[in-house]
Amino acid sequence: MYITITNSDLLVGFEPRVHMLASGMWVEKYRPQTLSEVVNQTEIIGSLEALIKDPTDMPHLLFSGSAGVGKTTTALCIARQILGEYVRDYTLELNASDERGIGMVREKVKKFSRYAGMADVPFKIIILDEADEMTADAQTALRRIIEDTARYCRFILIANNISKIIDPIQSRCATFKFTSIPQDDVINHLESIAKKEKVKADKKGIQAIYDYSEGDLRHAINLLQATASLGAVTEEHVRASAGLTKTTDVDEVLKIALAGKITDAREKMIELIKVYGMSESDFLKYLNSAVFKSKHEKLSDILEVIAKYDYRILVGANPEIQLSALLAELGKIES
Amino acid sequence: MWSEKHRPQNVSDMIGNEESRAAIMEWFAKWKKGTKPILLVGPPGIGKTTIAYLTAKQFGYDMIGLNASDVRSKSRINEILSPVLGNVSVLGTPMIFVDEVDGIHGRGDYGGAEALIQILKEPTVPIVLAANSDSSEKMKSIKKVVKTIYFKPIPPRLLRVYLQNILKKEAAKLSPGSLIKVIDKSHGDIRSMINLAQSFVTGFNPQTEQSFESVNVEDGINAFFKAKSLDEARSVLYSMQIDPRQKIDAFYSSVITSNLDNHTFSDLLNILSKADVLYGKIMRTQNWRLLRYLNEILIKLYKNDERIRYSQYNLSWPLLNRIRWDGRKIKAFSLLMAKKLHLSSSAFVTICLPYLLFCVKNKTLEVVLDTEFDDIIEKEIELLK
Repeated sequence: MYITITNSDLLVGFEPRVHMLASGMWVEKYRPQTLSEVVNQTEIIGSLEALIKDPTDMPHLLFSGSAGVGKTTTALCIARQILGEYVRDYTLELNASDERGIGMVREKVKKFSRYAGMADVPFKIIILDEADEMTADAQTALRRIIEDTARYCRFILIANNISKIIDPIQSRCATFKFTSIPQDDVINHLESIAKKEKVKADKKGIQAIYDYSEGDLRHAINLLQATASLGAVTEEHVRASAGLTKTTDVDEVLKIALAGKITDAREKMIELIKVYGMSESDFLKYLNSAVFKSKHEKLSDILEVIAKYDYRILVGANPEIQLSALLAELGKIES
Repeated sequence: MWSEKHRPQNVSDMIGNEESRAAIMEWFAKWKKGTKPILLVGPPGIGKTTIAYLTAKQFGYDMIGLNASDVRSKSRINEILSPVLGNVSVLGTPMIFVDEVDGIHGRGDYGGAEALIQILKEPTVPIVLAANSDSSEKMKSIKKVVKTIYFKPIPPRLLRVYLQNILKKEAAKLSPGSLIKVIDKSHGDIRSMINLAQSFVTGFNPQTEQSFESVNVEDGINAFFKAKSLDEARSVLYSMQIDPRQKIDAFYSSVITSNLDNHTFSDLLNILSKADVLYGKIMRTQNWRLLRYLNEILIKLYKNDERIRYSQYNLSWPLLNRIRWDGRKIKAFSLLMAKKLHLSSSAFVTICLPYLLFCVKNKTLEVVLDTEFDDIIEKEIELLK
């Protein structure tokens, strides 16, 4: 028996009031507010601007691309540009990985789309982030929801991997594939933020941030801010901040599991998932990159084991059992 | 199975609910076109289905039995019943028996209840319905068009006579204490009483109080790993009549907390993983009949190994407490921040939270929270590497 803490426990009378402006975080403070400010992605921005010139014609949109290249930012810019001052009331933002199943999505969309807009707006906008986290069944239900609400609502779906979006949904959307942002653009952007924040930053420091964040601009800006809290942005300070993220903890889980310390690895994995709320699919994603980074001599054996249990999680019922079994099997590989 | 083998052959062989039985007999005897259908309401296992079959036989009807899953949709009902309801019948003298009508209105029953009510309003053949309860909204509309007959649980003294009769026929014995337990545990449900008695008599350690108790999770798991043979382990496993999810979880927490070498550990978890996959598939597809294979996966866990003992919890206390207290706060905080930063809470907690805490630690960022959250920020800053 283990204790499950559901979201509903959390939400009943248990929501902290945070008196920190989101703009305290640089990712928010420097988030582009209009399409023209979005870094790179010039082709996409050009055609989107043309598409929303007459908003009533706007189709549903589907954005794909890796993390931190501007998908969500672009979606928010579109909403702001079309809805103007009403953007708060007429935009619904959902993140599929935080909603408990398609039923929850349906309820929220239904409630939100019930009435036509009272204000002078062409339609309401629903931004559904991480749509590729939904199972095929859930996406089929989503397709119905999109059709049922098409009179009053437009969807902007966001996904890392477009091949995980079912065809019927793809065919109902105008699809935009976001490419990764070129190194020079990331570096220029980081430098301009450093300048505005009056933080000293040397070339090597900025380069180190780029290397560590692997083209993910959101991660890069977060790392820049963390580094700047130590003073100047130097290579040394970047290195001191870079190991902080919980992906390092996943690297650690892999290491101790391979060393055969299964119980320790399992407790750490459960801490990440149950204390911090890392999703199982994110855990597996980071575990995969940890394996590649490790350059282990039995790399393909390890990945085969992970693949086996990743599949079982998808068809199984209890991810904790599956992940524990995964770690236990990793513990046999080196012996 | 005893409960099938000893199903009564005549209405007069049945026990309990004399008045209800008489009412049904009378209804059948007087039935003519247009007579209101009857609804039998009562707890499971007291003979509603049995009496429907027996009276049908006695009065010479050919019974067409439906259950909740057949009555899912209007088209399905019509497809099954229209040849029966029409004037020309190739089926002899039909009657309709619908079991579990209170189960009709689950999800996905498109118009099933409405279609049924239409048929109930103008019955051209005798219709008998059965339900465990008649209190739900949907049942109210059904009740308007039928005559309701209630069945009560069978009193213990009748159960005892009945059970002793069966035991005599089977030449089996139960100690008086066990007999009382079986009767008491059944709560007036004849079928479950007979099943219980059978598993009790044929169990791995018959006629002792202990075999009865092995239904309990803790003793069951311990007896499983203490069993001297595979057959003994198997009968322990089958006698643990608990929810399959509970069963898998109980084995999981027992295995995970035991002190085993890595190979054994991995092998056992692999088996549990397979059991969980099967359970997941069953839940997803609702193909409950696959459940019968679950025990045969779990039996592979068997080894005579005293190291594996039942454990209710599968985590250390510090971690359990951390999940319960810290986890709750962290999750509430990150869900809120994730919304502000247009992220999933998982992405926030993995990438942003550590950087945020680092900035707070270095005093370049300030987070003011309700007092009950203050300590968690401090604690997490301490934990930063």
